[in-house]
Amino acid sequence: MMTTTSTTTTLQVQAQASASSSFAIRIPPSSSFASPLTRSPHRFVVRAAVDPSEKSIEIMRKFSEQYARKSGTYFCVDKGVTSVVIKGLADHKDSLGAPLCPCRHYDDKPAEVGQGFWNCPCVPMRERKECHCMLFLTPDNDFAGKEQTISLDEIRATTANI
Amino acid sequence: MAVSVWASSSSTIPSSKYNNLFAAAAAAASSSSSYSNSSSLKFPLQRLPITWVCSPSPSRPRLLPLVKAKKQTFSSFDDLLTNTDKPVLVDFYATWCGPCQFMAPILNEVSTQLKDTIQLVKIDTEKYPSIANKYKIEALPTFIIFKDGKPYDRFEGALSADQLIQRIENSLKVKQ
Repeated sequence: MMTTTSTTTTLQVQAQASASSSFAIRIPPSSSFASPLTRSPHRFVVRAAVDPSEKSIEIMRKFSEQYARKSGTYFCVDKGVTSVVIKGLADHKDSLGAPLCPCRHYDDKPAEVGQGFWNCPCVPMRERKECHCMLFLTPDNDFAGKEQTISLDEIRATTANI
Repeated sequence: MAVSVWASSSSTIPSSKYNNLFAAAAAAASSSSSYSNSSSLKFPLQRLPITWVCSPSPSRPRLLPLVKAKKQTFSSFDDLLTNTDKPVLVDFYATWCGPCQFMAPILNEVSTQLKDTIQLVKIDTEKYPSIANKYKIEALPTFIIFKDGKPYDRFEGALSADQLIQRIENSLKVKQ
């Protein structure tokens, strides 16, 4: 029987650009590397991401509940996914003024906001009920739960370690 | 104890396209397990063989191999790709992408199971937008399997551990 403590860690690298080209690397202290004599439980690196504002989270939470009802879609069985996406939408609303889809990579975010295709609810969702963020799921989707509501407590609880 | 800290380097790093030091954690690589007490990383990182340790539980002492995630520093993502002997599964993600967070425990499980087959690397597209742009990443999560430093297979979206293992194995099998 083999014991493995393998975890994949994403390291945050902070490079300080300076004239002397010196690079400082900081590794989160709660690293998941086990010492040989202790068995560490599976631990993810806990590094607080900057949370979006409470106001925006509340706005996007209400929007999500409303839109799920209106479109006849349901939240994911894993409410953690729903919570992360709601926070992502809130984060973009804070930084860009509009809830740009958080599950996409953009070359130029403000331009995308102006263009509007990926502002939630995005065009694929409005036209075909396709939400790759797994926020709004049609009943036939394997991951769809039975709820169209989510409370602020649920959001807080399920995103506590991000 | 695995190396957990390293000193800052003041030597000039050859400028590459991505001129930040890029640190990637690889999922348990079969050839790594470091018990040195040194706190400085040499570049390139020395690869050490698996070390057998005694189980800490007193009731049933037996030798267990401890396979750990290996931490390495590369001067660029390209450097990482060329200096890895196994195919690399790269997960392009973002902090507030729901399906990406959903995949985190699944990726752990898969990288443990396939530790001899593939090396896992995660890239935060918000921190490394140039890499994401280079590989034309759009939807998140996007997974790209790199072989010999080049993209080999590519797929998007969340999937279960079994589906992911299937996909990786099929992809690597077919093109051998």
